Amino acid sequence: MHGWTGTILRVNLTTGRTGREKLPAALLHAYLGGRGLGVRLVRDCHCLDPFDAGMPLVFAVGPLCGTAAPTAARLTVVSRSPLTGTVTDCSAGGRFAWRLKAAGIDALSIEGMSPHPVVLAISGDTAELLPAASLWGKGVRETVSLLAGRGSIATIGPAGENGVLFANIMMGEGNSVGRGGLGAVMGKKLLKAVVVDGDRQVTVADPQRFDHARQDVMRLFRASPVIFGELGIAAYGTPALVDLMRQRRMAPTENFRKTVFAESGNYSGPAILRECRPKKDGCYGCPIQCKKSTPQGEHLPEYETVSHFGALNGIASLGAIVRSNTLCNELGMDTISAAATLSAWGEWRGRFPGAEEIAEILTDIAHRRGEGERLADGSRRFADAVASPGISMSVKSLELPAYDPRGAYGMALAYCTSNRGGCHLRAYPISHEILRKPVATDRFSFSGKARIIKIAEDTNAAIDSLVACKFSFFGATLEEYAELLTAATGEWYTPQSLKEIGERIYLTERFYNCDNGFTAADDTLPERFFAEPGSSGEGIDIPPIDRERFLEELQKYYRIRGLTEAGLFPAPDFLERQP
Amino acid sequence: MKDQIAAYTAKLVADRSAFPGDIAFAAQDDVLLTSGNAALSRLAGDVLSRLSCLALVAARPSLPFADLLVQRSGADETAIVPRDTETRTFLHDIPFLRRADLSEDPAPRIARLLGNRKGVVVEGTGIVAGGAVTVEQAFINYCSVFHATFVKYLQDILHEGFRLPGEAAALRAFRSEWLRPLTAEGLAFRQGTLEEPAEILDEIASVGRYTVERGLVDSFFGNISARSGSLIYISQTAASLDELAGCIDPVPMDNSSTAGITASSELLAHRRIYETTDALVILHGHPKFSVVMSMECSEENCPVTDCWKECPRVRFLGDTPVVAGEIGAGGLARRVPPVIADRGKALVYGHGVFTAGEDFGAAFRTMVAVENWCREEYFRRMEAKTGECFSGGIGCTGQRP
Repeated sequence: MHGWTGTILRVNLTTGRTGREKLPAALLHAYLGGRGLGVRLVRDCHCLDPFDAGMPLVFAVGPLCGTAAPTAARLTVVSRSPLTGTVTDCSAGGRFAWRLKAAGIDALSIEGMSPHPVVLAISGDTAELLPAASLWGKGVRETVSLLAGRGSIATIGPAGENGVLFANIMMGEGNSVGRGGLGAVMGKKLLKAVVVDGDRQVTVADPQRFDHARQDVMRLFRASPVIFGELGIAAYGTPALVDLMRQRRMAPTENFRKTVFAESGNYSGPAILRECRPKKDGCYGCPIQCKKSTPQGEHLPEYETVSHFGALNGIASLGAIVRSNTLCNELGMDTISAAATLSAWGEWRGRFPGAEEIAEILTDIAHRRGEGERLADGSRRFADAVASPGISMSVKSLELPAYDPRGAYGMALAYCTSNRGGCHLRAYPISHEILRKPVATDRFSFSGKARIIKIAEDTNAAIDSLVACKFSFFGATLEEYAELLTAATGEWYTPQSLKEIGERIYLTERFYNCDNGFTAADDTLPERFFAEPGSSGEGIDIPPIDRERFLEELQKYYRIRGLTEAGLFPAPDFLERQP
Repeated sequence: MKDQIAAYTAKLVADRSAFPGDIAFAAQDDVLLTSGNAALSRLAGDVLSRLSCLALVAARPSLPFADLLVQRSGADETAIVPRDTETRTFLHDIPFLRRADLSEDPAPRIARLLGNRKGVVVEGTGIVAGGAVTVEQAFINYCSVFHATFVKYLQDILHEGFRLPGEAAALRAFRSEWLRPLTAEGLAFRQGTLEEPAEILDEIASVGRYTVERGLVDSFFGNISARSGSLIYISQTAASLDELAGCIDPVPMDNSSTAGITASSELLAHRRIYETTDALVILHGHPKFSVVMSMECSEENCPVTDCWKECPRVRFLGDTPVVAGEIGAGGLARRVPPVIADRGKALVYGHGVFTAGEDFGAAFRTMVAVENWCREEYFRRMEAKTGECFSGGIGCTGQRP
């Protein structure tokens, strides 16, 4: 078998048993890897509570991982989110995925619940559970330091240990499995970390064809202004978007009450370049290297993080934002949900947290202390607890990222149809509504967006299953990645066949969610976006979203997806018809 | 969507890349829409309904070059491989279906090919191109295939001569009936230095439209900019040059803002030109004869094989320098600025023309002159190669005088 290893490692933390099994080739061909494979592997337990011992936490890589395919050495973690209740996948860079593949594994499924804190150590063909009481309670940096030398590390911090519903899983290199609280699932299992090492090589079916496709991808990267343009993410990291979102008047500010933050220039891409003198950093196997860090090695925040710890909370200090990011990484918390939850809290108490307050309240959240106890459950539960449901800027309880939906109507729709809740990356309409890739669409129109979102969701489900980085697709397309996949595996894939696989994955997730009680009522935005305008000015009007038009497009989306008016499946046998 | 279909049908007619009566679009929202020529509409709808794609265009190109390329291809060939860098970068290759391979219902086979590529040539039917996201994208992909086949056919016959009956007559008809005199006459350009932002934006939009209307660029290719003090006003990436209103980014020369991340992929080249010359405006188009001729090189036994990106030499077509270099960050921005200063013009191998100057009138006329020179030189070489006359004028018998 080329591309895949064809092997899954199952670990039962309750019994302490570990064992490798073969994965059927047909399953791999049909679900690829990463998100798709992970989603398929939780089929039999998708209705279990996220914290049930029987709920697996699946780490999966893709068929291109371990090859020279650009940006494809990514890891996906899949389980059911304790924050949203949806099936959730989340991907991360770093070396972990590559090492997992080198250990001969396409997927690692962790089930059960350990009686005491453990570390799962995988080295080549062996896997063992090591006692980790001494690591429990430690921050991410110290944990990584203490496990150094054992391979690549995925660990939780105090937030995961304490069941913070937006706790993440941190990679040793500083990347994070950030959304949906999968760190809390890991913490509930008393699994502090996974370390992995291996030295197996991935074989490619047709090296010459593969190299040709790789060169095609690189040529498209070089032609992309967003990737390698002089104002692009390779030069500035994702904070390159700060100025653009300010200019488009869609930077969420003060808990989405406004859409322009006058002082966003303090943390723009050029400001970070000037103040922090960043060096290039990034994921293994990625030529873009959009992640940035200081010369001392401190990881610098991404766009979402600078904007949410900045504009969303009314904080103009770059230093404070960088410290908030570092602290979240250290505690093991999703920066988007953390900042958005603080912002909801700020609106409720009538005062957004000052820069000087942030560190203490973040630490309290991670340890569930004081006011942090309520905030650790995310903005939606906090809003319900204080009887102010309108202050949670979330969809399906997942806090929205830094693209105001009043400034991009495809984004408005996509937040709602996303299977993991309010996420920008499922359909990523910012790509065409703002960044003009592959072509520009009218950001203030719903026309055609239902079909566009559906196609993009399918496409991105395939990309997440390869597992490649979405940023690659600011330049390349599925054409080049289908060619890489065909050359790597020897199996024939086309953009169309990949989109069909993506559709299967998307619908499987949707089916799980419907089984867990989600309906059209959950596919909606916070009321604010239908009732209040954004910050109009400079010739750009940001009115509230037309609810009627939104609902009309949502119904179109359901029809295109073959769903009922209530967003449900017309027949109960969908899963039975899937491989 | 109906509005978009009407708009892009009109564009295909205006740029003369398709026969007016032989254009059809299909688009799917929650229902399938088709429009245009009845038979092609049926085909477009049948193909699109098999694809995860928003729109599709099926049209008969106004020139026979795509079909002739299919007919000239070897029996074992299944695709046309473009040589110009723009379409080569974005299309890779263009699969084709021969007339003999078409069944009563060709839609499944066309859909299968389009499931892997952006455009397909169907011999005797036309070009079928998809748009994953918009109707515009289908139009763009059609234009890209039309451009690619145009350039490749002209280059192939220049190298290999005619192989099929009727090719010489087709080229003669192309020159006498399809090609039009290329001039800047009748166009109004603002004189002097542009200073007011509104004036700059308006002039860029007007000149962008001129480049499309005069055939110096297909609607969505190319880019245009003007410098005013510390700002570069430049067309956005993937913008149609004939519809630039609202699609021009002001970019600070010192990179103090990244709002211009949506600017043209050639921003770096424009900036370097402004940094190293006195130019105040830059125009970049893909006039077809310039693209064809830029790839003509008389060097023998040259060790460079990837000429389009690796050739280190500065060659000349007339007095226009020709350099190699990939799009965007791929080298073009390094090689164009040093050669454009002297004459205000440069050709990029297999790609297009950059002109620079103090005002758009001068830059536009320079581009026209480069394309006219290349057009004349192309036919001069064709006549020398074949011994035939392609002027098509009175007294042209087909034999070179």
